[in-house]
Amino acid sequence: MNQPYRRFFEALPGYCTVQDRDFMIVEANQRFRKDFGDYQGRHCYQIYKQRSEKCEICPVERTFRDGQDHSGEEQVTCTDGRCVSVIVYTTPIRDENGEIAAVMEMSTDITEMKSLQRQMRESQERYRMLFEEVPCYISIQDRELNIIEANRKFKEDFGSFLGCKCYQVYKHRDRQCLDCTVQETFRDGRVHHSEEVVSSKSGKKNVLVYTAPLHGPDGNIKSVMEMSADITPIRELQGKLESVGLLISSISHGIKGLLTGLDGGMYLVDTGLKMNKPERLNKGWGMVQRNVERIRSLVLNILYYAKDREPVFEKIVIGELAEEVIEVIKHKASELGIQVSSEVDQACGEMLADRNGLRALLVNLLENSLDACRVDTKNDMHGVRLRVSPESLKILFEIEDNGIGMDREACDKAFSLFYSSKGTEGTGLGLFIADKIVRAQGGTIEIESRPGEGTRFLVRIPSGPVKTVTSDNPLEE
Amino acid sequence: MTDQKKTILVVDDEADICDYISTVLEDNGFDTLVAADGRQALESIKKGKPDLITLDVSMPERSGVRFYRDVKESEEYKNIPVIIISGVDASFEKFISTRRQVPPPDGYIRKPIDKAELVEMVRKLTGS
Repeated sequence: MNQPYRRFFEALPGYCTVQDRDFMIVEANQRFRKDFGDYQGRHCYQIYKQRSEKCEICPVERTFRDGQDHSGEEQVTCTDGRCVSVIVYTTPIRDENGEIAAVMEMSTDITEMKSLQRQMRESQERYRMLFEEVPCYISIQDRELNIIEANRKFKEDFGSFLGCKCYQVYKHRDRQCLDCTVQETFRDGRVHHSEEVVSSKSGKKNVLVYTAPLHGPDGNIKSVMEMSADITPIRELQGKLESVGLLISSISHGIKGLLTGLDGGMYLVDTGLKMNKPERLNKGWGMVQRNVERIRSLVLNILYYAKDREPVFEKIVIGELAEEVIEVIKHKASELGIQVSSEVDQACGEMLADRNGLRALLVNLLENSLDACRVDTKNDMHGVRLRVSPESLKILFEIEDNGIGMDREACDKAFSLFYSSKGTEGTGLGLFIADKIVRAQGGTIEIESRPGEGTRFLVRIPSGPVKTVTSDNPLEE
Repeated sequence: MTDQKKTILVVDDEADICDYISTVLEDNGFDTLVAADGRQALESIKKGKPDLITLDVSMPERSGVRFYRDVKESEEYKNIPVIIISGVDASFEKFISTRRQVPPPDGYIRKPIDKAELVEMVRKLTGS
């Protein structure tokens, strides 16, 4: 090597060697000698890697073969045991005839870069893990509202919808929501929040949504991150508390009416005694009895509502049950001048059901029918009928009256909690509880009704026990 | 008390409460008519020409509120004083008093009823 080139070669800031076809190092620069010591008579793989034979992938070999430059990343060990990551470049050295006489290998120390790379990868992984494992839904949307990234919880509950519009996935809408916090964040670059109802795979969820801008390297907002926390349990609890509040107001409202009736009864009894008017006294006493009876059933209803009792299945002789419930309401019916009849199909026989539940249910519905007749002024002759007949694996109870009837809206709402078509008198508990009892026994309840014509309740109860249904009782849990 | 007995129309869907109010009023020197819903009440008003109406507004199908509006919109009957008797809370009183279409009721009594208050209010409004 010429003197000036020799100097350049020696001064190169990396490991520089020249190797022959046997990978024997024939020249090496100063830096190499400093870190790897004596190279004379030794192979490259012995020095760099303490191997006894050539590496499987060797850029020097490739350059000998094809005469091209090659590169690769390697890890080498210095004589002091230090591991150094290097990027290797090889280039052919040709003789006068153009034949490849040797290969020059130059390796640059990239250990520091490698360690930075590793740190970056680790920190990326850490953030990725945080993103994935955060216990809320995270999705990232572009300006067209396409979901371009989403975390694990999102994918679990909404499925993999990458590339779909957020409003399709979150809300099953076919166009953008009216108030879109993502768009707002794109517009003003600020954090926005709102409460939304979204449709996940497991049903509707109430979520608290935060949107935050994600900036690109140019400082412009590239995408928006939407983070939603599931607050369904909190909303449910709120709903339950609200219905407890409604229950209390409904009960106190009902009690006000009953107290007024009791007051009335007491007044008539009082003045009847003073004026020596037995007729008035009797009337008043009837009022007292009626209103005490109503308070009793109100209290029982409240207890039924408050306590989620498990149905107790026992053998019931259906004819006996029908007789029993008719007996309960007969007195009230005759007072009101309402005919009561029952018809039990001989084929009914026995069933396995919750006697107390069924009894409460039938009495409830029959009393309901009596009320419907009592307030009906159009008809003079009122009747309430209980019919029981077998259906396949079920028993059908029909409770029919020719009372005031209900319109479509009233029928639709009849089983909702606190809905009452009876004005001041109803607490809105009766039919809600009826529905609850029926469901607990795996049965169904339907209403057929027309205003001014009467109402028919059709209750179908399995004749044997089935899996019970849990109720949604706001006073429990 | 004037020579002529005043007639009070008692409107309530609850028979016991109708009986109660009418008995109290009769014991205090009034004649009474009773009606169980808005429709009956309109019939009674035509036949009986009451001097005052007590009305339960929370009857089924909102017939109490409708009846109240019918009375207050009728040239013939709008001067008959109406006392609203109800178990619903004060918010209704506020509601009905703030409707522009109908004037506020002449009196308002909450259930459970205070007999003395009722009688006094009826006397005052009928000038008895």
